[in-house]
Amino acid sequence: MPPSLRRSAALRVMKLNERSVAHYATCNSPPDKTGFLWKKGERNPTYHRRWCVLKGNMLFYFEERDSREPVGVIVLEGCTVELCDSESEEFAFAIRFDCARARIYKLAAENQVAMESWVKALSRATFDYMRLLVRELERQLEEAQQVALSQQAKNKPKKSQVQGGNGGRSKPTSLQGPLTQPTGSPEEGLLSLIPGKENGVSWNKPAGLSNGVGEGSGVVWEAEGRGDSVRPPPIPPRRKTPGGSLEDPVSPGTGCFSKLHDWYGKEVAELRVEWLQGQ
Amino acid sequence: MRFNEKELIFLSRQPSERAAELGMRGPKKGDVMKRRLVKLIVNFLFYFRTDEEEPVGALLLEQCRVEREDDMAFSIAFLDEAERKYLFECDSQEQCLEWIDAIIKASYEFMRKNLIFYRSEIHRLTGKDPLEQYGISDETRFQ
Repeated sequence: MPPSLRRSAALRVMKLNERSVAHYATCNSPPDKTGFLWKKGERNPTYHRRWCVLKGNMLFYFEERDSREPVGVIVLEGCTVELCDSESEEFAFAIRFDCARARIYKLAAENQVAMESWVKALSRATFDYMRLLVRELERQLEEAQQVALSQQAKNKPKKSQVQGGNGGRSKPTSLQGPLTQPTGSPEEGLLSLIPGKENGVSWNKPAGLSNGVGEGSGVVWEAEGRGDSVRPPPIPPRRKTPGGSLEDPVSPGTGCFSKLHDWYGKEVAELRVEWLQGQ
Repeated sequence: MRFNEKELIFLSRQPSERAAELGMRGPKKGDVMKRRLVKLIVNFLFYFRTDEEEPVGALLLEQCRVEREDDMAFSIAFLDEAERKYLFECDSQEQCLEWIDAIIKASYEFMRKNLIFYRSEIHRLTGKDPLEQYGISDETRFQ
């Protein structure tokens, strides 16, 4: 094999949609945190001042605050953030990964407050954290809605519970009881009607899909009084039961929703204790 | 633009939300349909040659549009270059719809919007801000 081919095989780089990733860094979606940090160089050990932008699970770093393109990005999934002693930099911390021969990214803030703020933000930057939080709020919302519905029922003892006789202002889906386990199939039928869906841009949903499709949660959407600009986003994905996907999802292997929910509930409780202790 | 490739490859080996062998065609003229093992993990879509352990590539699924292209096909395009589409061919309509749904819901932005919605609904129904107990109610991303 000619030397050039041999060399390129050894240096094969994984592809990434880099242009779009760079666009994500600078587009108008709100960043989670921005600021100047000192970053230890990739090849040489000196610290460079970088404008850093945290969005979701991506930490972008720019040469200047007004640079149009990032120098680079650190994907934060699977990382841990720790404080570290640095000989040359005060207020230093590190982003560390679990995988073999992984790099340790050394960063330093301008002061103690900034350092603590960045460490907190970066430790909470993983997808799982956000997902847990969303599920927890989803659960709380369902609880609150059930409380509200039972209040309504108490206040109207003569009317049937199935139809809220309030002139069509609210649209309960089905009130057969607490959440049935969604299968995803009602959504699919309606999804096929939609020509294209965008996930980072303003969400335009036809009314048919926003009525708590198939979840059976007795969700009450306010059809009026909020205007067109606020449409409830669709319910976040539930875990598929085993057999619905080729691999286990990132969670304990359980197909039972209540068990899964309890597991997440425990995780959130533990997180909460952690935060309270860290205050 | 630099990125932490090693860690991304490590991520591609983690349990996925969804994985399947699909036909995949890149966005450039002259790209042909190839069989790939496609894995959805957090907000990344990794694609592998079917017999290899390391991914050929990854697509970050933020700021993208997913469209049904055919009975059993869908495309992903990124908002900064909307004409360039990655095309995916599935084995059934059902599989196609499931993938579309999963990818739409795989972005951080999607979760953030849900969270904001739930937060304001909970507040409307109970008068309480559910994020207060976690000490995160002031974070800009949740406004």
